[in-house]
Amino acid sequence: MSFLAGYEPLFELALLNMVLAFSQYIPLRAGVFSLGSAAFAAVGAYAAAILATRYGVPPVVCVVVAVVAGGIFGALAAVPLARLRGVFQALATLALVQIVLSTALNWTALTDGALGINSIPKAVHLTEAVLAVVIVGYFLHVIGLSAIGRGFDIIREDETVAVSLGYSVRKHHMIAFVLSGAIAGLGGAMHAFSSYSITPNEFGFHMVVMLLAMVVLGGRVSVFGPIVGAIILTGLPELLRGFQDYRSVVQGALLMASITFLPNGVVDTTLGWLRRRALTRGQAGTDATEVTT
Amino acid sequence: MLAQQLLNGVVVGSVYGLFALGFTLLFGVNHIMNMAHGAVFMWGAFAGLFAATMLDLPFIAALAIGALAGGLLSVLLDWVAFRPLRKRKAPEFSAIVSSIGANLILLSLAQQMTATRVMRFPFDTFPIRIYEVFGLRVQLLQLVIIGIVILMVVGLVWYLQRTSAGRQIRTVAYSEGTSRLLGINPFSVNFQVFFLSGALAGVAGVLIGLVFNSVHFMMGEPLLLRAFVVIILGGLGSIPGALVAGLLIGIVQVLTVSYLSAGMADVVVFSLLFLVLLARPTGLFGSVHGGAARVARQ
Repeated sequence: MSFLAGYEPLFELALLNMVLAFSQYIPLRAGVFSLGSAAFAAVGAYAAAILATRYGVPPVVCVVVAVVAGGIFGALAAVPLARLRGVFQALATLALVQIVLSTALNWTALTDGALGINSIPKAVHLTEAVLAVVIVGYFLHVIGLSAIGRGFDIIREDETVAVSLGYSVRKHHMIAFVLSGAIAGLGGAMHAFSSYSITPNEFGFHMVVMLLAMVVLGGRVSVFGPIVGAIILTGLPELLRGFQDYRSVVQGALLMASITFLPNGVVDTTLGWLRRRALTRGQAGTDATEVTT
Repeated sequence: MLAQQLLNGVVVGSVYGLFALGFTLLFGVNHIMNMAHGAVFMWGAFAGLFAATMLDLPFIAALAIGALAGGLLSVLLDWVAFRPLRKRKAPEFSAIVSSIGANLILLSLAQQMTATRVMRFPFDTFPIRIYEVFGLRVQLLQLVIIGIVILMVVGLVWYLQRTSAGRQIRTVAYSEGTSRLLGINPFSVNFQVFFLSGALAGVAGVLIGLVFNSVHFMMGEPLLLRAFVVIILGGLGSIPGALVAGLLIGIVQVLTVSYLSAGMADVVVFSLLFLVLLARPTGLFGSVHGGAARVARQ
């Protein structure tokens, strides 16, 4: 067990990354090209950190406020963003990340600017992180099975078909943004409570790329996609310790290779393969449904 | 004071326009959002810098080498990052993801190579001459930059509008299927488009490196983020749009920095993007055909 204890910070990081990856996963599943999770996470993290350090609010309340703040921010952002499609949505959400980043850097009265907020109490440990991943993962799994999840899937595959079936694309895009904002708010707040300090630059382009890589690599249909993606991309730097300098090169190459050769991600490709195999073996009835759920 | 700032804005803005032109060309023809365009720009600047420092070449040669390096890198990018996706007819989003990966690799390699240092052009790369015109302080470099940008834009428009190769490119931009029926070789068109786009970025890189006298591995990122605003403002795929919007963003940025604060520049510029997307998603010069209302596949 002492061997594992040494890796506790790593497990914690992987779990917190999973929460953030969930926030990137929801819009991608719904066919929304949002890269805005980093902005929502910044809102959550700053809300929680400011409440905890300046007003001494207990961490649990801070986290709840952060989730609500992230959700509201997501809803507000969705009003213009849900009207856009494709690359326009991607660019607008990137601009959102940049606006939040610049605000955090320059509104020094509220955020202490580039110094960030320090001496945040450590309230998130392994247990809390596991709890968050399980709750959010289960919640997203249930949503995935509901009518909303079906709407997401159809809109992602073909918007015209979705509209002809009576699904409101705009409504589902709004739902995806609100969920993404709330989950990122949670992830950001937990990050603040686990790492003692936060600075604006943590929530920049680097985080956008990391979260995107996790979901693309893992897969964006099954809930296990972001989980596996977060495990691989958090663990990889540890495995490549000898090649510290080339970590970004490997991460970039992995991103390119996975979108080129495994466009559906590790998990969805594997699940699809298992499903097909079950079907061809003539056990379609029972096995296939087990695999799908 | 205002006139001086406007001049500075026009100089920076014309380089933004040059950079955004390559970006918008790729989108107009291939519907690719090249997130590694900033890295191509940065490597172009480094190529120009090395030509000036190691080979001791004059300004014009450094500029040409920057253009060549940017063009070739861009073609390489097409082969590695985009062509496999195009073959598979992958959705637009895949190209964004793939080029983000390529961007990461190119940035990281440049960081390794320079050990995260900020590098400068040698003092004598470009003579510092300052003229007084109607009380304005005009540097020779500023005039040359505006001249080069005009020359390149006129050249590009001439190439696209008046030559056979340009007609082929425009046909592919209009419809790839139709262009195939007409016997146009998409391989050669893609090569030209990616080379032109990269060469424009390379020239912009050398120019920006000279204006701010600093070349470093992160120099492409702010430019790429500006380019998003420029092309949305000007209309995706529109060449006059990219130029006008580039000038506008350059002026807005310089004015914000000098009259409000340096930190506010980003907030103003990116809020502008948001406003445009809300009020007129097709941009100032864009058409409905390429606009935000277009339903993307996937």
